[in-house]
Amino acid sequence: MNRRFLLVISVLTLFSLLLGACGGGAVTPAATQAPAATQAPAAAAPAASAGAVELQYWLWDANQLPAYQKCIDDFSAKNPNIKVTVTQQGWGDYWSNIQTGMITGNAPDIFTNHLAQYPTFAAKGQLVDIEPLVKRDSVDMSVYIGDLAELWARDGKRFGLPKDWDTIAIVYNKDMLAKAGVTEEELNQATWNLDDGGTFAQILGKLTVDESGKNALDPAFDKTKIAQYGLIINGAGGNSGQTEWSWLAATTGWKYYDGLYATKFYYDDERFIKTFQWYADMMLAGKIMPLELVTSLGGSAAFNAGKGALHAQGSWMIGDFANNATFPFGFARLPQGPEGRKSMFNGLADSIWMGTKHPEEAWQVVKYLASPDCAKTVGSFGVVFPAQQSGVEAALAAYKAKNLGVSAFTEQALEKDGTFLFPVTDNASEIEAILSPMLQSIMLGQAKAADVLPAANAEINALFK
Amino acid sequence: MTAPTQSVQTQRRPIPWGKILAWASLVLILCITLFPFWWMLRTALTYPKALFQNTASLLPVQTTLINFKRVLGLISAQEGVALGGTGQAINFILALRNSIILSMMVVVGQVTFSAMAAYAFARLRFPFRNQIFAIYIAALMVPGIVMLIPNFVLVRSLNLTNTFLGVALPAMLMTPFAVFFLRQFFLGINREVEEAALIDGADVPVVFFQVVLPMTVPAISTLAVITFINTWNNYLWPLVVANEEKVRVLTVALGVFRSQTPQGAPDWTGLMAGTTLAIIPTFLLFILMGRKILDSIQFTGFK
Amino acid sequence: MSVQSSSIPKLALQAGSTRRWRTRETVWGLILILPSLIGFIAFYAVPAIRGVVISFTDWDLLTPAKAVGLANYMHLLKDPNFWRALKVTAYYVLLNIPLQTILAMVIAVMMSRLTKSLVIRSILIIPWLMPSVVVGLLWLWLMDPNIGILNAAIRALGGPTVPFLNLPDLAMPSIALINIWQYVGYTALLIFAGLQSIPGSVYEAASIDGASELQMFWKVTVPLLRPVLVFVAVTSVIGSFQIFDTIAITTKGGPVNATKVLNWYIYEQAFTRFNMGYATAISMVLFLLLIFVSMAQMRLMRAGESDV
Repeated sequence: MNRRFLLVISVLTLFSLLLGACGGGAVTPAATQAPAATQAPAAAAPAASAGAVELQYWLWDANQLPAYQKCIDDFSAKNPNIKVTVTQQGWGDYWSNIQTGMITGNAPDIFTNHLAQYPTFAAKGQLVDIEPLVKRDSVDMSVYIGDLAELWARDGKRFGLPKDWDTIAIVYNKDMLAKAGVTEEELNQATWNLDDGGTFAQILGKLTVDESGKNALDPAFDKTKIAQYGLIINGAGGNSGQTEWSWLAATTGWKYYDGLYATKFYYDDERFIKTFQWYADMMLAGKIMPLELVTSLGGSAAFNAGKGALHAQGSWMIGDFANNATFPFGFARLPQGPEGRKSMFNGLADSIWMGTKHPEEAWQVVKYLASPDCAKTVGSFGVVFPAQQSGVEAALAAYKAKNLGVSAFTEQALEKDGTFLFPVTDNASEIEAILSPMLQSIMLGQAKAADVLPAANAEINALFK
Repeated sequence: MTAPTQSVQTQRRPIPWGKILAWASLVLILCITLFPFWWMLRTALTYPKALFQNTASLLPVQTTLINFKRVLGLISAQEGVALGGTGQAINFILALRNSIILSMMVVVGQVTFSAMAAYAFARLRFPFRNQIFAIYIAALMVPGIVMLIPNFVLVRSLNLTNTFLGVALPAMLMTPFAVFFLRQFFLGINREVEEAALIDGADVPVVFFQVVLPMTVPAISTLAVITFINTWNNYLWPLVVANEEKVRVLTVALGVFRSQTPQGAPDWTGLMAGTTLAIIPTFLLFILMGRKILDSIQFTGFK
Repeated sequence: MSVQSSSIPKLALQAGSTRRWRTRETVWGLILILPSLIGFIAFYAVPAIRGVVISFTDWDLLTPAKAVGLANYMHLLKDPNFWRALKVTAYYVLLNIPLQTILAMVIAVMMSRLTKSLVIRSILIIPWLMPSVVVGLLWLWLMDPNIGILNAAIRALGGPTVPFLNLPDLAMPSIALINIWQYVGYTALLIFAGLQSIPGSVYEAASIDGASELQMFWKVTVPLLRPVLVFVAVTSVIGSFQIFDTIAITTKGGPVNATKVLNWYIYEQAFTRFNMGYATAISMVLFLLLIFVSMAQMRLMRAGESDV
């Protein structure tokens, strides 16, 4: 036994030495203690990169990773002294990992930021104000579509350069529509209201089918054995309900709050309460895939697996359906509510972390990622609409080449009064902590919207006192 | 119920229903214990896009090694995304290396320093010996979470976050359990040999290294195995202290891989390939040292 | 775990060398414990004190700490999330421990009657050797409501879809189930080891006295097993109170906060919400709670007494 123990120890040691040699990094514990060892990967790189600045860049969307990797590669080709490592982390953990990183001192130098998160980071002094750099390098801010650039500015400071935009539309399974006798025209012209759900509710009824083939309008429909859901949404939606409920709630004339950086939220408004309750009721009736089933799979995977006929999703997911759907699909306009069709118009930007050791190099990267060159590159991958017209054209060409009709997204963006902006606010994570469990419990049928939302909203408004 | 094997002999020999039932339940329990591991392997060998077909098939669907290639970074990001994965490799080899380095550092340090202390506590007299030992023992009761934040703050102020030393240090110099465990063994061994050596004029370190340690190799190797497995499996501490890729250990890497879900749908085939690879070292160690682990069972509850 | 009074080395053969040996003994003793003492002071003693200090501050780690006196503890008293976390944790312990201990007892007793097979014992211990991260991932997959094998089996038997980890009412029992799977074999082997140490003669004597098997179990096995059972109970309760990994991997405190246990709440406060002071205050409360629980448990199980 003793000999065997020694054998194990020596094999392990040998193994780690070997692996270390392969990695080319610090091998022995002693070497790792030296601060210089933190630069180990650089040492392994060819001599050409001696003195190169290393930067970490994070993003959360796996579909965009190849496109931005290409941009980074192009950037590195022009700037051999800057080496950027791109890391993708899923949305679920992305923010907590960045927050933990800021605390532990290893947040990425540059990261894709979201309007929901940046005010908190800015307030904590964690983001580099790039306004002086924008002025210094006279970056042309007029190339960015709409208000995209201004969303990232506050009190004369600026925390990101926009790189894309998105709207919401309905993706549908063509086979399922045909089987149910719902035409694409009908779906495109669907209406919705709070009284009876309009023709959209009728369509969902037709598209919800149980195991014996009866749809939800049939009295004999068995809602305990559903084979196909009418609609799949991504979940309960959090503060903004971007792809989940914002596109219906907004058509009632409801607004999140009383303006940018507001102190008063309206989650207690009757229109919101009724809209959200409508979703919950549809879930409990089986016409929308129930929350407990969709959370573990994710809405798009459920749709791609043929669990439902319709799926409300953002334009950034177009490429995902092209990759993973095993059936013909198309994109339809959102249903028309009392005040027309409404979609959130949102965009992402790259921010620089205050803790970066190389702010100048990081700025060069951010500037490139928001440049016309990168916009064209990203557009050509056909995964997202870049924030500049030239990139959008490249994207449209790419979608066309893939035979994807994406007008449902672009028409929505161009429609008069067709869009609203993301509710940028302070205290976003506190609001999330209060609101999300409430929304979930309503969708799970454990509470009524009218009973719990007013109290939750009061709690939220108290955060701003 | 608990009768020893030489239990009461009865006159008749009826069919031992009780025994059959007991065996059946035991076999059932063993199946429940092992089945998840088979399912892990089965999923790892399933073609990613076939995951939704034959979800109840006990055998892999469209058997493939592509998932192992994916987690090992042997195919490009674009291909990975096309397969429904994240396109991001877990850099498994690096994480494996990191886990081994970290575990070795902790094992070697902890066992050596704890053995020295345990020997002193067991054999030598010095001021406040019993008081110091009593305080060590009291520390056994302190839950890990209480130490988490202050230790993190300490490691951070030493500028040791994202270094192996930073992760290893708190467990490298001692753990109360290791000292306690080894002291019990030292107390149990015969002191005559030691005394003879001391009388012959040998000094304490000579006696310790040349006489005592060889006699306690079984206990020390048992402790080494326990420490190795505990360090290997540790998640929260390395997660907090060393999340950067160059020092990221396997458990943390798996957590990160789990969070690299494309749009909320976990990449199950890739994840199961990753977990399969991650437990191979433990399995190997277990096959070689299983007996030691079983023998140490009585002591391991303190972790 | 009491500190045994050590026996003094009987080395002092020649009176003259005694004093010299004493000095050397002291010096070597101090040298040998020095590394461990440094480790203990740096990573146990000082952090424990520092933890107390941090718990009296408002500190986000990014800006200097502000002393706030008892504010964190006062806030804790009226923080509904803390009380819910406490309740959720207690609920988990109550779900986990009794079932796990009883099941382990049954397995141990069965094994002691049937087999001492090394292979079987090895299989039973495997889940315990696995990282909780791996176990969490594995069960998350097994329990997936849409394409997981457990639901496939339930559906094949005609049952409805069971969203184990995604419904508030089911999430905690599911987590308990996962942890029972991981720890029951280990616990069973602990008890099994205890059973092995009971001499067969005790049973023979009892059976000559005409005791039935059930009587033997309650009158002989359980009392003699008490030290092992106390050890098992105390350590597994302490362990359960500190559950983190499984939840971090599977539910992250959800759905609807159903699995937001104390450890997760502490982690969340400290490492995603920048509240080091408050998080430390909660961990201090958890510590006191654990001391109280384990003392109560030992008292309750009359650990000190021996029945036979």
